[in-house]
Amino acid sequence: MTDVEQRIQCRWCHAQSPSSARTCDRCGAPLDVRDAVTDSGWREAPRLRDLTQFHWSASGCQMDAGVVPVAEVTLAGEDTVFFEHHAMLWKDESVPMSVLSTPGGARRLVSGMPFVLSVAHAPGRVAFSRDATGELVVIPVEAPAEVDVREHALVLASGSLSFTYEKIGGFRVMLAADAGMYLDRFVAQSAPGLLVLHGYGNVFQRTLGEGETILIDPGAFFYKDSKVTMEVTSINMKGRIEDNAAAAPPADDSAAGTAAAPAAAAAVAEPPKKGGMFGRLKSVTSMVNVGGIAQAAGSLRSGGGIGGVASALVGGGGSTMFRMTGPGRVGIQSMFRPHKTGSE
Amino acid sequence: MTDTAAAQSTYTCPYCKQTSTGAETSCPTCGAPVNIQLRTTASGWTELPSIADMARIQFGQSKAQVEGRLVPVAEMSLAAGDGVYFTQNMLLWQEPSVHVDAMPLSKPWTRHRAGLPLVMLTADGPGRIAFSHDEPGELIALPLQRGAAVDVREHTLLVATKGVAYDWAPTNVWFMTSGGQQQPVSAGGSLLKMGMQMAGAGGLDRDRGRDNNQQEWHYPVGQFLDRFQAGEKPGLVMVQASGNAYVRELGERESILIKPPALLFKDPTVGMQLHVEYPAAGMKLWRTWGNRYLWLRVWGPGRVGLQSCYERLDDPGTDFRDLSPHTDYLWR
Repeated sequence: MTDVEQRIQCRWCHAQSPSSARTCDRCGAPLDVRDAVTDSGWREAPRLRDLTQFHWSASGCQMDAGVVPVAEVTLAGEDTVFFEHHAMLWKDESVPMSVLSTPGGARRLVSGMPFVLSVAHAPGRVAFSRDATGELVVIPVEAPAEVDVREHALVLASGSLSFTYEKIGGFRVMLAADAGMYLDRFVAQSAPGLLVLHGYGNVFQRTLGEGETILIDPGAFFYKDSKVTMEVTSINMKGRIEDNAAAAPPADDSAAGTAAAPAAAAAVAEPPKKGGMFGRLKSVTSMVNVGGIAQAAGSLRSGGGIGGVASALVGGGGSTMFRMTGPGRVGIQSMFRPHKTGSE
Repeated sequence: MTDTAAAQSTYTCPYCKQTSTGAETSCPTCGAPVNIQLRTTASGWTELPSIADMARIQFGQSKAQVEGRLVPVAEMSLAAGDGVYFTQNMLLWQEPSVHVDAMPLSKPWTRHRAGLPLVMLTADGPGRIAFSHDEPGELIALPLQRGAAVDVREHTLLVATKGVAYDWAPTNVWFMTSGGQQQPVSAGGSLLKMGMQMAGAGGLDRDRGRDNNQQEWHYPVGQFLDRFQAGEKPGLVMVQASGNAYVRELGERESILIKPPALLFKDPTVGMQLHVEYPAAGMKLWRTWGNRYLWLRVWGPGRVGLQSCYERLDDPGTDFRDLSPHTDYLWR
């Protein structure tokens, strides 16, 4: 029997659905609404309709899209989802629970990441909310692929994804970047998976070409393909952009081949050389600029404490930026100062 | 053909009063949707329309595009020779080709004491740069014709074009009560105090040093207003309102009382001062214990803009020690 039904492709996740469908069955994005893309190529995350459903494996998810959206998951078959425990809003009493074995242990605890990731098993229903105003973004992950996500942005991940984390190198990043010390990395090795993330404010995505770069505020960083490199860059008050040694390593992707990357991209990704003690001292002093002092004073006045002052001084008064270099997707959120949900 | 073109070019935006062809879905000067009904209340307040998602606003050879509804983003596509300025914490992303520099500001210590940003940045094209106010609300575009000016509440600026001059002036709306923190007498003394407090638990303890013999200053609409004035060329100022934004055109000497924290912007021709009302409750002696309402009296001619979501006015209810020029009214 030949399937002659016409198909329509989702512009967000590229899955195909019957032409009669109003929403994508894999990510929930409306199929009958035109894309909203800015002149520079930022695509608004799909505005999910209230009570939209989508499916993966044997399970399904329904979105209560509101001011503080909720994802309600119906688990079936052998499916599981894992998540930070405080993101769980309610669950059927019968849903079996377990703990995900995560690497890092005490280091995760010290860095403010959840020590325990919970796993919910089929059958049953579980619902999740991030307890904050924003948008839920559904990202289907095809194997083999890796997605890096800002810490504490995860709502849920399907059990077919493996979880690890990447340290963002450098003292400066830790203090200045407002993005935390680690990136959550979700890997689809042999089977596809699904990520549901929570972004503060509105969420936008842009696909960078090979070697294409853009500077974003560290707090605005939301997610990226692991092939996208991320470096810390400062804009000093004389308008000059300074590169910093701290960089999140790109994924070890031999299949894609770093050899294929252009020389420009390689040069950007290469950490600058350090010049011993004096070089490092010079590097530290160069971090402190007028903007940093200004922001430190503001932090002090508003009760930010020593941590806030150090962050502002080292961060250069908010002029620290992430330099993202393609190829791959980059997601940002339009509320970009540190926002924490209650349990973080 | 000619008649059609002439008819199209006569579209006048009901919000910014600028003319355009009307061929676009939104006003190219302020981003307001074209041909929507002017929504005005019976009392004369006009609700400023939300700038439509992806609407474009032209300024000089450059343009701004507004995207997002919860926390909107203004994405500027700057042509060579065009520039904008902004406070540093509004910058969301930029292309590396955009040249960012510090903007010279006078009286840094006064600005610091008033809570104004010490550093503002300029960005020059060519290239793209985007801004977000980092909180839910509405973006308001205020196009300024040659020589026109607007006064804007502090901390609401998102971005302004470079041809618009920036200045800041005291609001002259304040009151002083008993029992507050002592005002620092000098920059050195204040720094020493801050340093000592840093060495302690971190951050300023706002209640430390509170004494009935001391005085506390309050600025219901902020200590300063930002003033933006267009020069030889038209300019654009974008501000963010919390909640919804409304504007009303006041006639000559027409006055109205508004909640001081709700003020968003006003024409410089609009005057304002503090107004205090005392409800008649119990003995006259008690009326100073919180039984008072603080208002901002504004009078025309000119526009006044409000935001519907605002901070609670901080009034401890203790005796006034001093006030800026004001009017008062005792309820019967």
